[in-house]
Amino acid sequence: MLEKTLVDSIKTIDSLTQAQQLALGKFIDKGFPTSKWEEWKYASLKHLNERDWKWSPEKLSVDFSKPQWKHSAIIQTLNGNTHSEGALPQGIALLPMSEFMAQNPAFDSVWKARNPILDQNSLYDLNEALVNDHAVLWVKKGVKIVEPLLHHYLVSGQQDTAVQSKLFIYLEEDSEITWFEQQRSESSHAILSNYVQEIWVSKNAHLTLIKDQDLQQSITHVDHTFIFQQESSLVDAFTFSINAAYLRNNLHFYIDGPQVVSNLNGLYIPGEDQLMDTHSVVDHRMPHSESNELYKGVLMGNATGVFNGKIFVRPDAQKTNAFQSCKNVLASDRATMNTKPQLEIWADDVKCSHGTTTGQLSDEALFYMRSRGISKATAQTLLLLAFVQQVIDKLEHEEIRAELSDKIVNKIQASLGLTLL
Amino acid sequence: MLSVKNLHARIGDKEILNGINLEVHAGEVHAIMGPNGSGKSTLASVLAGRSDYEVSEGSVEFFGKDLLDLSPEARAAEGLFLAFQYPVEIPGVSTTNFMKSAINEIRAYRGQDAMDAVQFLKMFKEKMAYVNIDQTLLSRALNEGFSGGEKKRNEIFQMAVLEPKLAILDETDSGLDIDALRIVAEGVNKLKTPQNATILVTHYQRLLDYIIPDFVHVLYKGKIVKSGNKDLALELEERGYDWIISALD
Ligand SMILES: Nc1ncnc2c1ncn2[C@@H]1O[C@H](COP(=O)(O)OP(=O)(O)O)[C@@H](O)[C@H]1O
Ligand SMILES: [Mg+2]
Repeated sequence: MLEKTLVDSIKTIDSLTQAQQLALGKFIDKGFPTSKWEEWKYASLKHLNERDWKWSPEKLSVDFSKPQWKHSAIIQTLNGNTHSEGALPQGIALLPMSEFMAQNPAFDSVWKARNPILDQNSLYDLNEALVNDHAVLWVKKGVKIVEPLLHHYLVSGQQDTAVQSKLFIYLEEDSEITWFEQQRSESSHAILSNYVQEIWVSKNAHLTLIKDQDLQQSITHVDHTFIFQQESSLVDAFTFSINAAYLRNNLHFYIDGPQVVSNLNGLYIPGEDQLMDTHSVVDHRMPHSESNELYKGVLMGNATGVFNGKIFVRPDAQKTNAFQSCKNVLASDRATMNTKPQLEIWADDVKCSHGTTTGQLSDEALFYMRSRGISKATAQTLLLLAFVQQVIDKLEHEEIRAELSDKIVNKIQASLGLTLL
Repeated sequence: MLSVKNLHARIGDKEILNGINLEVHAGEVHAIMGPNGSGKSTLASVLAGRSDYEVSEGSVEFFGKDLLDLSPEARAAEGLFLAFQYPVEIPGVSTTNFMKSAINEIRAYRGQDAMDAVQFLKMFKEKMAYVNIDQTLLSRALNEGFSGGEKKRNEIFQMAVLEPKLAILDETDSGLDIDALRIVAEGVNKLKTPQNATILVTHYQRLLDYIIPDFVHVLYKGKIVKSGNKDLALELEERGYDWIISALD
């Protein structure tokens, strides 16, 4: 249940559609996730009941400083409002969902049947309740854009604010884009940043999705990214969780066709007073597909990390290859990591493997390095940077890779007080 | 250069070194032999500064400094080198990057300027020739997936780069075929100068056909129970260790 005072304040919002009211009812009934909910065991949001949330965020306008490297478009989502800066490339449109559906009436029933797993996800209800007619990025058939589309996601508020954002990306057949999303905040007040991103990847389409999550210490950021993949599509997803007091990623892949490839790469590096929780779902619903999950974490200070990796292989999903790996280094005695791989396999002709490890840097390796004259601090730095580099190196885009690499290296060195000669 | 006096070391309650005495001077080669489990690797590790072992008694001086008071990295910077019996895998760090960090930290310790990329390239090229090692191996993550021979050769390459005053080679010969053994031994011989010294730890006399020791010591139950010249190694080869041990017990 949602706290009484919050129920009162959220009910003052008027002009909600029927669907929104329905979702609001669900959210009010469930309230914020608590540690009693299995899916939120280590990442309770009960404390959000204690704030007097402003439910309608301020309108923002931001002059976004363009990156040095080549990009094909800049799209901003500022406190939930999405627009593009300047023209979009040929074959890409940004429009409201209502207009998109009006132009694609046949898609409506397909969309309604998509069936994501929403157990214990009251924040999805909250988002649905407060977002009306969100934006759609529509990539037309056969359109291949080499330069990344840069997405600037920003939350802000002059008082404690709950920000809901939603974006739908629709890739038609044979299309290809790289979506580089910078998630940021500008506020010293508590912000609940509740972001839903749903992505439809049609036959033969290829999406590279890169999320750079670097928000302030006053921010609670919950990212729900649901990706629906059709036949022979390919998605390379990267999630770099760098900063925020609380960062939760619900990253879901629904494999709805054969010959699909889903690659999930993630790196989380929480430091002092930070919690980062990844709940991934890879749902193999059709045969002959492949998923690869590679997650790494470095936990510093008194950080808490959570990794829950669900893989479902449904009865029809014969000849599935599903691979999952999650490796963590506790770089501090006070840090904790909770891992839970969860495989549910109903098909018999499948190859699945998974492995999770959590440990400290090896004493053997540190002694070996020190015996060569390398100081303990440098040895630790070298080992940690090599550890995270294996995820960063999978990024093909050189400038984005360099930018993220610098940021990650700086955070680790600053958190541990280490420097490299 | 090295003076070990009455060295005792233990792990937990287990006494492993029981009063070692050893004097090593510049220009000398010492062989330390002895059956498995007699404490040879422990002695090497204690000298290099592994913290698992507690030194309960005795002293070690290295060029007049109290070695036991120094961190492992400071010992390396002072000129001590240990070639590991089991070299450790360092995931994601290439030998070249590893050696660059080592060299520049040691140079900083000694108050010398850092070496630049060009100087490194030239130096590495020179040292690679010593042990007949190639560039691809040096670019790979250190020791990861290396064969036994590659690991040992890489240890000697690191030794060539670091130019230690005292090198301790722990079973560097084990696991090597005869060709690899010869290459490793030649590398060690080439690196020998009148200013440095070598301690060879081995339980075979095989390596000593290639690197001739000035002194041979037998370690047993954490103590040096017999010392001699290279003929002692030959005698051990012929007669084993039992005759020494039974004379003690
Ligand atoms: N880390 C350790 N913990 C417990 N016992 C050890 C450890 N290292 C060595 N020992 C014991 O100390 C003794 C000497 O070992 P070691 O120095 O490796 O001998 P050597 O190199 O001569 O074969 C052995 O009995 C061995 O089991
Ligand atoms: Mg040994």
